[in-house]
Amino acid sequence: MFHKVFREPFSYEKIPLETAIRKEKDRATNTWQTVKRIASYFLPNRFKLSLVIFMVIVSSLLGLYGPYLVGTAIDEFIVAKKTSGLATLVVALFFVYLFHSLAIFLQNYWMVGISQQIVYTLRKQLFEHFHQLPISFYDTRQQGELMSRVTNDIDNINNTLNESVIQVLASIITIIGTIIVMLWLSPLLTLITLTTIPLLVIAMRWITRRTGPLFKIQQKDLGELNGFIEEIISGQQIVKTFAQEERVKKEFAERNKALRSSGFWALTIGGFIPKVMNMLNFLSFTIIALFGGLLALKGHVTVGVIVIFSEYARQFTRPLNELSNQFNVLLSAVAGAERVFHILDEKVEQFDEDDAVELDTVNGHFQFNDVTFSYKDAPVLKNIHFEVKPGETVALVGHTGAGKSTLINLISRFYDYDAGEILLDGVPLTSIKRENLRRHMAFVLQDTFLFEGTIRENIRYGKLDATDEEVIEAAKKANAHTFISRLPNGYDTKLDESGSILSQGQKQLIAISRAMLKDPSILILDEATSNIDTVTELLIQDSLKRLMKGRTSFIIAHRLNTVTQADKIIMLENGEIIEEGSHDELLSKGGRYELLYKGAVPNDKEDV
Amino acid sequence: MKTIFSHLKPYSIHIVIAYTLTFIELASELLFPLFLGILINEGIMADDMKQIYFWGTVMLFITALTFAAGIVNSFYAAHISVQFAYSLRERLFSHIQRFTFEQLAKIPSSALVTRFTNDVRQVQNTIFMALRIMAKAPFLIFGSVIMALVVNFKIASIFLLTVPLMMLFLYFVLIKGANMFKRVQHYIDRINRIIQENIAGMRTIRSFVRSDFENERFSEANRLLATNTTKAFRFVEMSMPVLLFVMNLAMLFILWFGHFHVVQGATTVGDVVAIINYALRTAMAISLLTFISLAFSRAKASIERIDQVLAERAEEETSGDKYTEAIKGSITFDNVSFRYANANEPTIKNISFNIKEKETVAIIGATGSGKTTLFQLIPKLYEPTEGNLFIDDKPLDEYDIETLRNQIGYVPQKALLFTGTIRDNITFGKRDATEAEMIQAAKDAQIHDAIMAFPNRYNTLVGQKGITLSGGQQQRISIARALIRKPKILLLDDCTSALDLQTEAKLLEAIAKYNCTILMITQKIRTAKRADRIILLDAGKVSAIGTHEQLLQHSTLYQAIVQSQSEDVTYVS
Repeated sequence: MFHKVFREPFSYEKIPLETAIRKEKDRATNTWQTVKRIASYFLPNRFKLSLVIFMVIVSSLLGLYGPYLVGTAIDEFIVAKKTSGLATLVVALFFVYLFHSLAIFLQNYWMVGISQQIVYTLRKQLFEHFHQLPISFYDTRQQGELMSRVTNDIDNINNTLNESVIQVLASIITIIGTIIVMLWLSPLLTLITLTTIPLLVIAMRWITRRTGPLFKIQQKDLGELNGFIEEIISGQQIVKTFAQEERVKKEFAERNKALRSSGFWALTIGGFIPKVMNMLNFLSFTIIALFGGLLALKGHVTVGVIVIFSEYARQFTRPLNELSNQFNVLLSAVAGAERVFHILDEKVEQFDEDDAVELDTVNGHFQFNDVTFSYKDAPVLKNIHFEVKPGETVALVGHTGAGKSTLINLISRFYDYDAGEILLDGVPLTSIKRENLRRHMAFVLQDTFLFEGTIRENIRYGKLDATDEEVIEAAKKANAHTFISRLPNGYDTKLDESGSILSQGQKQLIAISRAMLKDPSILILDEATSNIDTVTELLIQDSLKRLMKGRTSFIIAHRLNTVTQADKIIMLENGEIIEEGSHDELLSKGGRYELLYKGAVPNDKEDV
Repeated sequence: MKTIFSHLKPYSIHIVIAYTLTFIELASELLFPLFLGILINEGIMADDMKQIYFWGTVMLFITALTFAAGIVNSFYAAHISVQFAYSLRERLFSHIQRFTFEQLAKIPSSALVTRFTNDVRQVQNTIFMALRIMAKAPFLIFGSVIMALVVNFKIASIFLLTVPLMMLFLYFVLIKGANMFKRVQHYIDRINRIIQENIAGMRTIRSFVRSDFENERFSEANRLLATNTTKAFRFVEMSMPVLLFVMNLAMLFILWFGHFHVVQGATTVGDVVAIINYALRTAMAISLLTFISLAFSRAKASIERIDQVLAERAEEETSGDKYTEAIKGSITFDNVSFRYANANEPTIKNISFNIKEKETVAIIGATGSGKTTLFQLIPKLYEPTEGNLFIDDKPLDEYDIETLRNQIGYVPQKALLFTGTIRDNITFGKRDATEAEMIQAAKDAQIHDAIMAFPNRYNTLVGQKGITLSGGQQQRISIARALIRKPKILLLDDCTSALDLQTEAKLLEAIAKYNCTILMITQKIRTAKRADRIILLDAGKVSAIGTHEQLLQHSTLYQAIVQSQSEDVTYVS
């Protein structure tokens, strides 16, 4: 057992870095570019940054000057046993120390401000970018993985900026300063001390070549774990009812293990750096003692010089030590930043064309001219050709996967068609600004989405400046008012994430209220009432009819009454229009629609 | 804190080893100035070259030893901290798996996710530090102080005043800092929540052109996070210059009195030099202390948040003497009421009915009448606030939860598929299912043909990372997932709403062959008519039970529903 305990830390499976190391050159330029890009975020804060740099110079110089004065005190007053004058020196030292602390305080204070400003900007950019990415970007991404980028990856950058920048600056200044003083004190001893530098360079190279890729793997593993947890927790209902807790635990353990092993190697190898530095530190101390002692014997140096020198050797290796430590933190930040920039570099939903127009009012006249659309190289809609007059209601009918929802995605420009043209009031859809277009539309989608907040806020989402009366009016129209007023807090009832307060049908009623409030020119209902019981539906049917009156409406529904009353029915199959016309026209035609209708309507009508 | 220790306990031997190694490093660091003192006194002052060589060699040897100790320590420290994080995450996950729905509702999933990654990592990093420099700084300080006291008590006694004062100050910074960082983590939760919501609701946001509104909402949270982080960092980092200044004042004191003693001949030059050296070392260790207090306050904030989750009492573990036999499938509700924790009114009230094994029962009722709530009581997702539920005449409490749930097939209203292949998702219901079983379930759920039309067939990736399926396709995969279990009780929660009538008819015919108790929530009379009996719910109460014909005769509410669906209110796809 004891044996095992000793071996455990050495028995982690190696993570293959060969591929990562071979690409070292690409990686190096990549890393450099990322660093430059992070650096560009400092630009708006250059004034504050220069203040920080100034303070770092002051604190570093004072940090060097303090021990120098102490050395003088030792040589002149303690070794030489001089009795007067020490008071002046002590007072001088007091002020050196005071200003030293003050400078450190100020540099930290300002730097925290700068770094938080940068991190704030990064988060803001990332979030705003999320809103510009095309909807298709989200089709294949895990929510939790994206969340990880805003929190975990940016947090990495956050830590680095806070600590590393000052350290790096201070280290460089201290190193330069120390070397100058050391050279001045004893060039020979300085040279001897500096012999440890090549050792340092070799060790650092060996280490960072490994930690660079390791940090990246670690961040990726962390993101995947984040994604998995988010998905499983959101889907707890399924996990529980299927009693699959053990199974998801096992799957979790796999991801947890992956993170453990990448974390282990990143920590271990990254942890070598201070150890190497410590060793070099000891080595130079020894060298100074040994050679300094021998030189002192021959009278080349004084005891005071050896003491100060040993101190300076520490002063010298300490910033190097910190520099190398920070190097690691920097690398982990670069790994985080690369993942953030990766998203920021994702192409946004195409910007509106420069000559894109804004329509003040919309009649709702749609013309579809041979519209074709493919999704991921698979054709979804082929040669769609029809016309919708202002105020008409169009029902889209067809089997699951026939292309009904895609057609709606084209109308709302979530996707843009590949060929053909959709004209709205004679203007090609693609030359209307997206936001402007959507402002004229109201959607009730199949998957109702309610936000954390009160019911009132959720309805008001349709029109942010709506009065309370307007909200209630809309809810009444949607037949949601009755159940809302029965809730303990009425319209101020908070909806939490699980949404257990409301049933699916009630959520749909709120979504319909939202659309009612928006009062649009174009209405899109995609399975808007699928979870609402038929009695309630009948009640809101009138309001819906009123809502649709005078507005161009597109409807996907399974319930025939909505369909039969439509001005136009478009029947889709495999992405093509196979039949088109009013209910009566299609019935008399005796085609597929009739078949569908007959299959739907029971023969023994009186039964129902 | 208890959580930290309990998760570190299995690695106590490793920790002892790691600390021993740290001590070796530390001891050499403390001994080095001493060696220098000896080298000066016995070598340089005594003009003895041999002594210089001797002590120089000793120092070289110690350097090598320290390096070796340091490298091995890296392995141990990393091992302990990643194992710690691993087992803490494991525990959190297992714990959450046993949460009831009410508990899950308390903490939003986005906040739980932060606990797993951000908070755990905060603690992990601190432990790694604790095993390395954190031990070093206090020991370096105490070691230096003690060594200095040994060298010359009188001069070094200034440490006895300053060091405790500094410790007290640090403690104060740490406690206050932890509170500030707790607020920071809280705002990270908030940010996480908004992002999660925005990504999930992106389509709704875009269609309502509310990106600006959301950006503003995020901005507010983002700003709060930034200001709170700034405050917290500034507060903790201010401790360093303060401590450094106090320590430097002590240095002035030593210089002054050291000089005084040397002049008086009360002490040697070497002694004063050594004490000054120790003072410098202590000052340096103080800069380490800032990192430590920073890390500690963040870790304290994080572990408290983790503890908050772990403190939730989880669903009780199933004990061995619970009933684990196969069930037949009769269900009895005896005066059952249920109220959600956050609601004033019960959602279902005094419900009583009896369902025979292998019976098919439809549940129908208005939006919000309690249909889904009633369903969720059967697999014990929630427990009734009043009354009792029996399966095969045994109270639900007597069943082993896992066995019970394994015999139930549940198809929720909102089909939820996990990231993975279609195969993964269907066999989620039965892990050891054969290919034939899977295909049969898919065929019965009327989704096989659609699956075969995908280029990758059953290996098509679905879920958040996969292709976008239509609502009807998702529902049918979710049905196949339940069917593959060959359940004794099948619960269908309005899961055919997106299916066209022909498909639905075929599906229900196929399901009928499964020979199990079926409860189905539906809006459609046509579907309900297929059932042996219909339960009509109204505002959480049973309004009527019986066959279609019986209800048609006796229930006015039922008549109204039928009326609402008459003639033109039928369904097409």
